[in-house]
Amino acid sequence: MRYLIVLIPALLLPFVLTDFWLAQVLTRSLILGIIALSLSFLATYLGVVSFAQASLAGVAGYAIAYFGPNTVGIGVPLPFIVKLPLALLLAMIAGALIGFVARRSRGIYAIMITLAIGVAFFYFTRQNYVLFNGFTGFSGVLPPALGDRSWGDPRPLYYLSLGVAIICVAMVQGFVRSPLGLAVQAVRDAPGRLLALGIPTTFPIIAAFAFSGLIAGSGGILNAWFQERVSSFSVGFGPIIDILIISVIGGLRHPTGAFVGAIVYVILDIFAIDLIDRDRFNLLIGIVLLAIVVAAPNGLQQLAIDWVGALRKRAAKTPAN
Amino acid sequence: MPVSPVPKTTANALETQGIGKRFGGFWAVKDVTFSVRPGERRAILGPNGAGKTSLFNILTGDYAASSGSIRLFGEDVTKSSVPKRIKNGLRRTYQHAYLFDGLSVHDTLFLAVAGLRGGWRQILPVRKSDPRRIEAERLAEVCGIPEFLDRMVSDLSHGQRRQLEIGIALAEDPKVLLLDEPAAGLSPAERPQLSNLLLSLPTDVTVILIEHDMDIAFRTSESVTVLFNGQLMAEGTPDEVMANKDVHEIYVGGTHSE
Repeated sequence: MRYLIVLIPALLLPFVLTDFWLAQVLTRSLILGIIALSLSFLATYLGVVSFAQASLAGVAGYAIAYFGPNTVGIGVPLPFIVKLPLALLLAMIAGALIGFVARRSRGIYAIMITLAIGVAFFYFTRQNYVLFNGFTGFSGVLPPALGDRSWGDPRPLYYLSLGVAIICVAMVQGFVRSPLGLAVQAVRDAPGRLLALGIPTTFPIIAAFAFSGLIAGSGGILNAWFQERVSSFSVGFGPIIDILIISVIGGLRHPTGAFVGAIVYVILDIFAIDLIDRDRFNLLIGIVLLAIVVAAPNGLQQLAIDWVGALRKRAAKTPAN
Repeated sequence: MPVSPVPKTTANALETQGIGKRFGGFWAVKDVTFSVRPGERRAILGPNGAGKTSLFNILTGDYAASSGSIRLFGEDVTKSSVPKRIKNGLRRTYQHAYLFDGLSVHDTLFLAVAGLRGGWRQILPVRKSDPRRIEAERLAEVCGIPEFLDRMVSDLSHGQRRQLEIGIALAEDPKVLLLDEPAAGLSPAERPQLSNLLLSLPTDVTVILIEHDMDIAFRTSESVTVLFNGQLMAEGTPDEVMANKDVHEIYVGGTHSE
């Protein structure tokens, strides 16, 4: 019921918004939200902050470019039905590998390891021409055709991204109610205790990273189709930091917080430049983000929930007087 | 005293032969030999630093023994991994409640019951009617916290956490239970409740209990082992052990004669 309040407007928005708002604001927010969701999931349920989520999204994005139509003449074109699961599988494998490497790390050490992996992947994509086409990467990465149109058109891509976002949120909520998902949360709280139950801790950690790879990869594929390209800039410092910012300002209490964070971030990113001098728009973005983190330490979504709760209390009190 | 029914083998539930654990030049546990019959209730006493918890850590496999051997129902488990010993029926609780604060009581007990067996289905959400969830509800009943099933573990009182610890240890057919100071930090009102819980444990389960509270230890145990400075000092019925001069000295505090 609660979800309908968000879902119905989300379904109707394409009929009132311009293509610019639909594509550049909403679709982009959904895509960034999906990738940030993969980080929120890890941070909330495994208790690990990973800086490698942009790389996981990048693995899937590069895979869909390498195995699909592109204009740089690199890669092996495969049918859609093969390349889509293959790209997601590769992102999951990459996630599992990162999980394996970082399996004993917590807190700042996990951040360092995943950051090192993310940065290494960034430089690798710049220097490798056989798989990643170096600095320029892949262009002309088109989504499949939709009748006589393309899935890349604003409305279809918006609905596709919305659908994927809903599926990802549902998957996260299902996963954390599963035995494996409970074990992941148990690793976060008391790994030694889990071991004393006879449950190994390495497997849940690797599974959580693989699962986050699946989500980040879904976002990565959409991102490649949205931009019609994937390059080293898709996996560099910029995206790494963006994803972290989105997760934090959205809030880590609930998976959907990532989408709240994404919308705020995208709107700031687009319109800050109109409000202030071209050279200083990053300052404005920084100040607003700082204000959000100070005013809403648990994220914007939690702040909104708290406000609604307070309003309801007041509303409940008024008739009694 | 009637001998409890013994599963398959007539061997002791737990038997150690000269086990010890050395940290550098310090023996936390040294040359401890003792055995516990199936179904027996054994208390382990000793002042702080006597090596009681270290002994538990060796028995569970958290510490590798520096010397000696351990047999669980006749099988040598000295070199076995922690999960292997758990599979053989060995369970423990911790001195300091060490629980999954972010899970509900129900989910915690479910995890203890279900483990991670059953292949790929482990990634699917658990149904309300899942028999393992119902078993988790039964465990909450057994350990006396059925009304807190949906509560987060972090919201439980200290006493309830201790009860949950025991509920977790009772999951999945335990054969030997090692309880590390289950009454530590409990209020006087909570203590009788805990000893009743200990007395109500299934009789075929062997219980080894570290306890400082003499009332609880003697009320719930038929035999007592006393450790001192990592070594076995006395063993016997509660009466025998209390009559022991050395034990009396370390507990009641006699004069230190050279």
